[in-house]
Amino acid sequence: MRIVLILAFSLLGCSGLIDEPITYFNVETPRPFGYVNGDEIPARIIIETRSGITLQTGSLPAKGQINRWLNLNEVTVKQSGQRYEIDLRYQVFYAPLEVKSLTLPSFTVQLSQGEKNINQNVPAWSFTLSPLRELVVRQTEQGEYMRPDSPPILLANTLAMYGMTASLTLASLITVYLSFLYGLFPAQLRRTLFKRALRQLAGLSKADMEQALTIVHNALNSLNGQSLFHNGLSQFYLLNPQYLQINSQLDWFFNYSNRYFFSAGMITVAQDLQQIKELCEQCRKIERGSL
Amino acid sequence: MSTDTQLTDWRDKALQFEQQINQTVIGLQPAVRNIILAVFARGHVLLEGNVGVGKTTLLRAVAQGLGGDYQRIEGTIDLMPADLIYYTYLNDQGRPCVDPGPLLKHGDTLATFFFNEINRARPQVHALLLRAMAERSINAFNRDYYFPHIQVFADRNRVEKEETFELPAAAKDRFMMEINIDMPSADTVLDELMFNPRFHDTDQLIRGVTNSDIYYQLNELAQTLQQLIQTSPKLHTYALTLWKATHQPQLYGIQLADVEMPQLLMAGASPRGMSYLIRAAKTRAWLERRDHVLPEDLQAVFPVCMTHRLFLNPMYAYRKEQLLPELIKGILNQVAAP
Repeated sequence: MRIVLILAFSLLGCSGLIDEPITYFNVETPRPFGYVNGDEIPARIIIETRSGITLQTGSLPAKGQINRWLNLNEVTVKQSGQRYEIDLRYQVFYAPLEVKSLTLPSFTVQLSQGEKNINQNVPAWSFTLSPLRELVVRQTEQGEYMRPDSPPILLANTLAMYGMTASLTLASLITVYLSFLYGLFPAQLRRTLFKRALRQLAGLSKADMEQALTIVHNALNSLNGQSLFHNGLSQFYLLNPQYLQINSQLDWFFNYSNRYFFSAGMITVAQDLQQIKELCEQCRKIERGSL
Repeated sequence: MSTDTQLTDWRDKALQFEQQINQTVIGLQPAVRNIILAVFARGHVLLEGNVGVGKTTLLRAVAQGLGGDYQRIEGTIDLMPADLIYYTYLNDQGRPCVDPGPLLKHGDTLATFFFNEINRARPQVHALLLRAMAERSINAFNRDYYFPHIQVFADRNRVEKEETFELPAAAKDRFMMEINIDMPSADTVLDELMFNPRFHDTDQLIRGVTNSDIYYQLNELAQTLQQLIQTSPKLHTYALTLWKATHQPQLYGIQLADVEMPQLLMAGASPRGMSYLIRAAKTRAWLERRDHVLPEDLQAVFPVCMTHRLFLNPMYAYRKEQLLPELIKGILNQVAAP
């Protein structure tokens, strides 16, 4: 019985303190050799704590450059209950001339319990880094010893190219068609002057004589390329001889317009508007080449 | 007699007068027409042209035909304003005398004042003329003299530039028209001028012009005419657009070769210039047997009334002989009437 009691007390003495905040701590590291420039080195830190203790993630090393040759690419913390798994992924950028021993620096992880901080040191870890090539680059009979990587294979984009060409073609066809519909082609503009004038004249009555005259004047001015006046008709016929056949009508039009706009006491009758429309129709026929 | 009949009679006289001048000075019909317009619109005229093309003959013929008291002076580099007002001399008895000069000699009946080679006179003389032309009066011997009928005809040749003084803008603006006299181009006219002895003696040629003695009635006629010839609101708009185009031609789509249009003009037409333009246009409408002004009347007188009123930037001034006619033509072509 005494022996049993002694053994029991001895076992109590062997067990850790009951209020130890960190119940389990381990750093799992990979092999400490066989790395070359550019390799990534993962490290996992496992911490188990008593309840009520939380990990201060701010105390973990920050992502980014740690020193001249070491980058920390990723830091992830997984928590399940009171167990923390901290995964660190380092990357080495060091080109040693021969096998060299390097050290991941140590750091301290902080845990907190209420206002109290608990520090846990993560020890430094040494590993060896090997050079990628011999110290002196040699030439071989087959050619360069050092050679660039093969270029990457481009992704197939033929389908996208076909699609783009097709949509561009369609868009330009639509633009051309719309310009045609709106009569935006310069040559077409000159050939549809009186067509448009006729359309504008269509709804006008005797009371809109001023507008009617202005419409025909504008059409004639556009055709002439500059303002056309009665005294400029001979010059106009030289440039547009086909209009000479309606000389008398044009003559009447300019006289009428002069009287309408510039002399007093002009009385308009419906017949005048009809005559202006007829003139415009004649001009349209000449424009279409059917007169 | 009604005013309309009066105007018709006067028109016949004017056309007859024009015909007579055209027979005396041949091959210058457009210039003669412009001078007739200026005479009946009561505006001063500046003639410009080469030597010996008939500028002086034309003006003398017009003065002779119109009648009225005529005075003439030659522009020289040493001509001073006082020379126009009085001259001093010793008379037969050896006593010093002061007599009125060419401007004052005829008092208020002075009609045509012909200033030959005006650009040879100094700016002081131009300054005296400014007042005489614009206000038809001058101040001399401590009082004002009025010339209600004065009409200044001036000429200058464009060949020589030595010992000449460019007319100031203000003096140019007081001329209603600047008319370019070019040599007649028709062979028959040139042949006539060379071989017909009638044209060899200009004095005799001028004497052949009948004095119609209409001069002193012109002021009254011009006044009636300006009142009776109508201008419509549309024409007002057209004239206004023309005026604006002389200030900012670029806004009216006028583009000249090798010219930054916004920088082309230093000054456009003045209100006085525009009023002269309308007066001349009304007179033309009257001569064309109309009682209303048409855009073509404005267009006909626009170049002669406007070219000397537009001032180009110094950068373009050396090309003015080419640019100004192009600009005037551009304005007339671009501005539409209705």
